[in-house]
Amino acid sequence: METVLSTQKLTKNFGRLRAVNQLDLEVKRGQVFGMLGPNGSGKTTTLGMLMGVVNPSSGSFSLFGQAATNELRKKIGAVLEHPIFYPYLSGQKNLELTAMIKGATADQITKVLHVVELTDRQEDKYRTYSLGMKQRLAIASALLSDPVVLILDEPTNGLDPMGIAEIRQIIKKIAADGKTIILASHLLDEVQKVCSHFAILRKGNLVHSGPVDEVGKGEETVEVLAYHDDLSVLLQEFSGTQSLVKENVNYVVKMKDGFHSQDLNRFLFEKGIVASHLVTQKKSLEKQFLEILAEEESKKQKV
Amino acid sequence: MLHLLRIDLKKLTSYRTFWVVCGLYFLTLAFTTASGMEFLKWLASKGTQFGTTLNINRIPLYHFPDVWQNLVFISGFFKIVLAIMVVISITNEFTYRTIRQNIIDGLSRWQFLQSKILTNLLLSLMSVVMVFIIGLVTGLIYSPEINLGYIFTDLEFFPAYFLEVFAFLSYALMLGLLVQRSGLTIIILMLSHMIEAIIKVNIPDRAEFLKVFFPMESISNLVPMPFARYAFQEIQDYVSLGSVAIALVWIFLFNYFGYRKLQKSDI
Repeated sequence: METVLSTQKLTKNFGRLRAVNQLDLEVKRGQVFGMLGPNGSGKTTTLGMLMGVVNPSSGSFSLFGQAATNELRKKIGAVLEHPIFYPYLSGQKNLELTAMIKGATADQITKVLHVVELTDRQEDKYRTYSLGMKQRLAIASALLSDPVVLILDEPTNGLDPMGIAEIRQIIKKIAADGKTIILASHLLDEVQKVCSHFAILRKGNLVHSGPVDEVGKGEETVEVLAYHDDLSVLLQEFSGTQSLVKENVNYVVKMKDGFHSQDLNRFLFEKGIVASHLVTQKKSLEKQFLEILAEEESKKQKV
Repeated sequence: MLHLLRIDLKKLTSYRTFWVVCGLYFLTLAFTTASGMEFLKWLASKGTQFGTTLNINRIPLYHFPDVWQNLVFISGFFKIVLAIMVVISITNEFTYRTIRQNIIDGLSRWQFLQSKILTNLLLSLMSVVMVFIIGLVTGLIYSPEINLGYIFTDLEFFPAYFLEVFAFLSYALMLGLLVQRSGLTIIILMLSHMIEAIIKVNIPDRAEFLKVFFPMESISNLVPMPFARYAFQEIQDYVSLGSVAIALVWIFLFNYFGYRKLQKSDI
């Protein structure tokens, strides 16, 4: 698969602060790539370097396998942090200006305004827009030149639940068109809902990178409840049990590798016990994220 | 090139402040330069009150070819208005952060700067055309005899005036890029002449020859003050090539410093 974007040991220092540290990333065509990380982890700085507004301190990066130029940037639609437009120009005029820079045609403007449902307000000045409309106009301007890659940085920041749902819908629609999307966010379920791949940044360091599908693989965790006095003893006897804790009324069994919930169910049944509650806990990206961060933390403390 | 100019003009032509400032500039320029005779009449009437007589017909303010240097010199004072407009245009890009989005969208930093420089060139050119038309009209009205030879004398003041305006706008653009805040930039811009004067006063006598190389001085030296000739004094009624050369160097430096700053900073 074609590499859309890659960084080699990309580093940025702001004075004594190292915002991005020796970052190696690779995004391939067609991926919906989520960049996760707490606030201030270097997501926006990284994207800023890729888009030519922040000068890297060291390291390099390439777009579409070539050294980055402003011409290549025209093939990328990007919104970093907040939407940025001329407040005294109308939505339409702002897009006309972007179209001039990107070399897009006038009928594209009509099209993207339709996609983000701003056609009714296109003649109004940008400063009269609500935050949600500003975000939508920003997505519209990113879509203008029919870009191969779309970079969205916290696109749902500060929106109400309805606005968030709308933006998510738009992102899904765009992803369905086969565009590569890079989505920076600190909202985990947002990434899990729309992304195919993800990377986790922390204080400028890359701590994890891989497909979202793999989240939830590995050992299973099963919640069990059955009316039997010695349930805890029995569960300890089960050969697939790695650890056991009691949470509220339920027992939570962490399984050894290769054992699944049906094995536990069969074991209980053979002992003559029928479970009244048996749930396989799906590992969420949130859990995974916290685990990865915790692992990093403990590694550091050992060092 | 023309494409970049059109991008910058697109930003400005829907900006009301731009029309107000440019409107004020061209109106005051036109009124001031065209009302010289009225001023002389007022001066004469004041003089009569004090018992001196001033024969205004003996002052050929608007006669070809005097009119060219007179008008160009006076017009030079109004370039500050255009320069403030240039400062607003560039500092807006920083306050709205639109310079960042322009570059993300696919302009190179140099292209962005070029679009601003091209607008400066256009504004300077429009000033030249404006003053030329006013000069031609007033000259035709007030000159006692129309002589083509006289009309085409001293036209070299127009390229000099062009350089004067463009150099000052380049300076304003550079200040805007360096300071990035409109209020502070405008204050520095207005105080520039004064700051330079203070420095010039304090340089030792043996370094006197350096004075002509100062930026503001070199910009004003392009078109020398002509009015002393009506008090029977010798004036410089030509454009000196030395001052043109110095101004050209400054124009290059102003734009180069702006370029360096833009290339090196994170936006």
